[in-house]
Parts: sequence; C-alpha cells; structure tokens
Amino acid sequence: MKKSLSRIIILTKRDFKEILRDPLSLIFTLGMPLFMEVLFYLIFHKLTPQFEMKYLAPGIVVFAQSFIALFVGLLIAIDRSTSFLTRLYVSNAKSYEFIFSYALSMIPIIFVQSLLFFLVGGIIDSSIFSINMVFAILISIVTSLLFIAIGILLGSLCNAKSIGGISSIVIAGQSVLSGMWFPIEGLSEGMITFMNILPFRNATKLVQNTMNGINDVYEDFLIPLIIVLAYTIVSFILAIVVFKRKMKSN
Amino acid sequence: MKTAIKINDLTKTYKDVTAVDRLNLEIYEGELFSLLGVNGAGKTTTIKMLATLVKPTSGDANIFDYSILKDEEKIKDIIDISMQETAIARKLTVEENIDFYGRLSSQDKSKLNEIKKVIYEAFGFDIIAKKQASKLSGGWQRKLSIALALISKPKILFLDEPTLGLDVIARRELWKTINELKGKMTIILTTHYMEEAEALSDRIGIMKDGKLMFVGTKEELFSKTGKANVEDSFIEIVSGGKLS
Repeated sequence: MKKSLSRIIILTKRDFKEILRDPLSLIFTLGMPLFMEVLFYLIFHKLTPQFEMKYLAPGIVVFAQSFIALFVGLLIAIDRSTSFLTRLYVSNAKSYEFIFSYALSMIPIIFVQSLLFFLVGGIIDSSIFSINMVFAILISIVTSLLFIAIGILLGSLCNAKSIGGISSIVIAGQSVLSGMWFPIEGLSEGMITFMNILPFRNATKLVQNTMNGINDVYEDFLIPLIIVLAYTIVSFILAIVVFKRKMKSN
Repeated sequence: MKTAIKINDLTKTYKDVTAVDRLNLEIYEGELFSLLGVNGAGKTTTIKMLATLVKPTSGDANIFDYSILKDEEKIKDIIDISMQETAIARKLTVEENIDFYGRLSSQDKSKLNEIKKVIYEAFGFDIIAKKQASKLSGGWQRKLSIALALISKPKILFLDEPTLGLDVIARRELWKTINELKGKMTIILTTHYMEEAEALSDRIGIMKDGKLMFVGTKEELFSKTGKANVEDSFIEIVSGGKLS
C-alpha cells in the first residue's frame, strides 16, 4: 500500500510536469478561455443575459475543462505510442496507479482554471463575488472529473495522431451542447431533451447554479449532479477497463 | 555456466497467427544473447513474454527460479527492458528522467546517487543532464532510454532493437556502451543489423515464423552455413539457401 501510494505520487509529479511544460496545454486550458471570457463579456453582455459574468464565468470554467480531456488523452496516447507505459509497467507500476496519477496531476491545473476565470470575472463584474464562488470552485472540481475520465478513456483508445481530432468532438460537444453560447429557448423540445440527458449542459448548469444560488435543490443541483456523476463513473470504469486491456495488448 | 533463462515450449498465438511456436531455449547468466529474425519472426513477442508483458498461450519460461506464469512481480524486480521505441519522459530533463525512474524502481536516495554517477560516466550524460529529453538528438534519446533500463540494476536486460534508426556514429557509440555492460548482467538483444549481432553477441539465436532455426556461437553458425559472416549465414538459414 505504501509502495503503491509512493508510486502514484512519483507518477503524478511527472505527469504534472509533462503537461505544465507543454506551452500548448497552457494556451488552451488557460490563455484561450480567459481571452474568450473577457472578449465575449465585452461584446455581448449588454445584448443578452447569456453573457453576463454570473453565467459566463462558470460556463467558461467548464468549457476550459473540456480541453483537459484533450491534454490528458494526448499524454496517455504519447506514453503508449512511445512504449513509455510499457517500460513503467515492467517497473511493477499498476494500471490503477497510472490512472490515479493522470487524474491527480490535472487537479492543480483545474483548480487554477476555476480560480483564474472566477477572479477575472469578479474583477470585471464585482457583483459576482460571494461565498457561492467558493462553492462553485469546489463543485467545478467534481465536473472536471468527467473530462479527466473521458480524456483517460480516449487516450487509451486512440493513438497520438488521432487523439486531437477525437477530443475535439468532446470540446465541440461541451461548447455547443452546454447551451452557454446561445439561448436554448428557441431550440426544439427534442434537442433540449437531448442536451439535458448528456453531461455537458448539466455540468455547466451545476457550476452556474452553484454560483448564482440554488432555488430548487432537486432541479438546480441534485439532478445535474447525478447526471454528471453517472457519466463520470461510467467513463472511469470504461477508462480503467480499456486502459488495462491496452496495456496488456501493447 | 549457470542458466539465467530456460524457455520450455513457449507458444503465443494471436487468432490464427502463431507468433512464437514451441520455443525451447537456454540463455546463460552474464552472456549477451542476440535473437535475430526478419519482421514477424517472433523476436519481440518472445521478449514481451519473458518480460511478463504478454501472457503465453502455452508453455513456460523460468527466469532464474521464477516462472513467467506465476511469479510476474518477482520477475519484474530482476529484469528491465528497453523497447525499440525511445521510451522516455519527453518533457523532463535527462536528470529528471533518471531521478523519476530511479524513484519508481524503489531506489533510495543514496543508492540512486551512486547509480546516477555510474550511468553519467558510462553514457557521458554530464553535458546534457539539464537538457529536456525532447530536445536531444535521436542518439542521445536512445542512450537515455537504455540508461533508464539500467537504473533498477537488473539481472536480465532486454534490448529490443536498441539502435533502430540511429546514424552510424550513434550506433557505434551505443555498441561501445552495450559492450561495457557485457558480463555485468545477462543481455538479450534483438536486432535487424547483422553486423551488430556479430560485434556484440556471445551467442546467437535465429528465428523464422516463430520457430527457432539455430542457436549457437558465431563460430558454430559460420561452420554450419559455410559462410564467413553473420549476415550471409542468416540469409542462408532463413532463405533455406535460396538467396545464397
């Protein structure tokens, strides 16, 4: 147990450094979403409530998390294609230790994402500062687990060349199906139902509602939370199964 | 000579393809054994089975006293492997790579420092220790990849095509490093370069379609085929004399 914990810490540190030293990962997980937060607020906040900071900041937090799926997936796909994981497997490291380390290495980045986008949002519109912001940051750690699990799953399934294209489906899914960029009232009932049964809109709603106050605990918090957690758990189980199989077949 | 690896009827089949077919082989402690064969001959699959990365379909192999079927963890403690791909942490520096892999191999700090000293000297890492691995030349990256396999001080080292894709100078430098390791551990090397096998091996095994066609020293190989070098001998055995 002690050895296993020690290996997880060693692997986590390495994964964290690999991500942090990739300038593209910093641009896409921090720089670009921050730019979008400021730009969209400045252009649109007077035109539609969608882009008021109290909705935009939590929306951007979850949108930026979708890039985590890309970068964790890319790291795993490269580790697999270069036989780096095979080498580590010979050192007696276990599949679950790898998965824990990939997931844990992302948490500091996710925390910085949430803190940055909320703080900048608060600087632009100080009315969003409240204790709810702290709860929203905490709940955003929960929503991030969904994207981490999807990233691990995709990284186990795809190779280093295809992971970018496949992950962009997740990013596009979060962008379009979260409903954060446009009012969904005009959409058909079928489309809204479709968005409600997928995790993307629920993840965004969860952080937005936590930030702006929960009126109906069941509707505003529990249902989105259960849907996000259900997808997260299923994604993690699939990720573990696929990762283990790939490790053996590689 | 003490036996380091004893392979008994080792077989691996993938659907309808037999990658390794009832392989029987003994490799002795401290020798450098080269496994030769064309693509798909079963060399890498054999190495992966011995390194407990792939389960055999049937048969078994003992690495010292441990069975690859029953003692996976114990075997992993005494072996290491350098795959044909350059398996390094690309965004870490050379020093960080060595520290990372050393700690993962449960080396304590003082032991790791000793090992680092030896590795730095053997591979000439002093000048590149602080460089990020991804910014090194192919030759340095491959050297690092092989060096990582030595950190755990393995009794058995598997080198799967260690010089694949390297230029002639980098290859010769690696030969020198591998030559210096001879006798300190048992090395099983696969390669497509016949001159590499000739320069480095104590004994050679030639595989074709998953079967072992020849085992012996270079001299035994030359005497069997009537040829003067490993390449001609290899072609003679693998082509059945058709290309000689």
